[in-house]
Amino acid sequence: MHHVVLERWSRGSSFLHARDARVKVLVLLAYLVALTTTTPMTAAAGTCYAALVAAAIVAARLPLAGLALRAATVLPFAGAFALFSLLAGDESRALSLVSKSYLSAAAVLILAGTTPLPKLVRGLESMGVPRFLTLVIHFLYRYLFVVSEQAQHMRMAALARGGGLRLAHAAGAAATLFGRSYARAEGIHGAMLARGFVGRMELLAEARLGAADVLFLLGGAGLATVLRLAMGTLI
Amino acid sequence: MHIPDGFLSTPVWLALDVTGLPAVGLLARRARRELEEARAPLLGVMGAFVFAAQMINFPVAAGTSAHLVGGALLAITLGPAAASVVMTAILAVQAFVFQDGGILALGANVFNMGIAGVLAAWLPYRLWGAGRHRRTAIFAAGALSVLVSALLAVSELLASGVPVRPAALAFLLVVFGVSAAVEGVITVAVVRGIERLSPRIVRQATPERSWGLAVCGAGAVLLAAAGGLVASTNPDGLQWLGGQLDILGRITNLFAAPLADYRARWLGSPWISKAAAGTAGALLVGVICIALGRAAARPRSA
Repeated sequence: MHHVVLERWSRGSSFLHARDARVKVLVLLAYLVALTTTTPMTAAAGTCYAALVAAAIVAARLPLAGLALRAATVLPFAGAFALFSLLAGDESRALSLVSKSYLSAAAVLILAGTTPLPKLVRGLESMGVPRFLTLVIHFLYRYLFVVSEQAQHMRMAALARGGGLRLAHAAGAAATLFGRSYARAEGIHGAMLARGFVGRMELLAEARLGAADVLFLLGGAGLATVLRLAMGTLI
Repeated sequence: MHIPDGFLSTPVWLALDVTGLPAVGLLARRARRELEEARAPLLGVMGAFVFAAQMINFPVAAGTSAHLVGGALLAITLGPAAASVVMTAILAVQAFVFQDGGILALGANVFNMGIAGVLAAWLPYRLWGAGRHRRTAIFAAGALSVLVSALLAVSELLASGVPVRPAALAFLLVVFGVSAAVEGVITVAVVRGIERLSPRIVRQATPERSWGLAVCGAGAVLLAAAGGLVASTNPDGLQWLGGQLDILGRITNLFAAPLADYRARWLGSPWISKAAAGTAGALLVGVICIALGRAAARPRSA
């Protein structure tokens, strides 16, 4: 499954993997803002932004082809609206929609591929995202795989019985999955309370900003800003 | 419809990030209060359930199949504030892990699906969910949640200048209509299943016979969705509002002569006035929604 691959990627040990999650989020935001505000999106600008992403992928020692393939998940949506733009006779818009959304997705994948989600979410929390929301994200991610597997088992069982042909069967399966998830959640909650859960996920080590993190922030955000200023008009 | 990055113009994504994300913060506080104790595990696992439930194929006519979107189901089972928090968590995981929806566009997606979509589902269920028309109310909840979020997404794209010809727009509207009806049917079927298997979970809406509130609520939902679409196909409206703000800028200009040049340029830039107009509009919708929510919540607490 997709997030299992990402999990494996995020356990690497490159320079980018070692950076603080907050710093990486800020650099990503700087890159995304620069990319999305660049108008018109010329071929030169697109090449520069793509080169920046490629350099980051190489620096993170992530598989270039695998990442490029995964970023293609945005293409159906982007392609549909690019087609609408083409039909309306706006070719440059079509090209800019596809290239901007694809490069953005690749950039986000670099963040997700170099940062384990618990660290990322903790970073977001210390940047002001409410703790209740980050807790929900933590639990969602933890049980995503468990509940998905249960859904697949139920699907397999239904197929083995020759079912899954009528709406009522599918609805029954969804309702069963809902009831089981609800019961599972209550069990988890009780067990966590019994072990002294006070509404906060503990990490093994608290993140600390080092000199390398600050340098990376200045370098990454600076590069994005310079690129943005060099390309296209201001605002 | 998850909007990726690179689609929305800066005024649109900025305004929706600035209004949508803090709104979820408020809702998170409210959800924590409503659910008595730290029920984060429940909300998280329900989010995982929505992900997993999308693997279940629901057969629709002529051999095609669809899957549950889930916003309405969450609103009906968990209540609107908790449903918004779960939807936001889902959208955040989809954006960061699955590249489904952008990061800068997260505010827009949260606003469309996590706030407006959930409210649009909660409204009919709250009003008619307990009476004779319970099934119709659940159908309306599922259908409206999908329809409102899709219409909002398209109006945001149009407002950002993505060119969509009337024919393409008509095609999209038909697609939205069909998927809204499908989501309504699926939601009814799943809620009936849950009622039979684990009846204590589904929130029973208390009967409400306030036609004034119903008309008001329906008006707000239509205003938010259809109004947004009309307004964005006609960008002159936004520019007109921007022009008004510009006049405001010139008036303040008279009183601040030393900074005159700087201010005029700053406020006169179409980018800033558009962003201001967009933010003001979103805030207005937010205030209307909060007022409606208060009105809808009052009888329960009394």
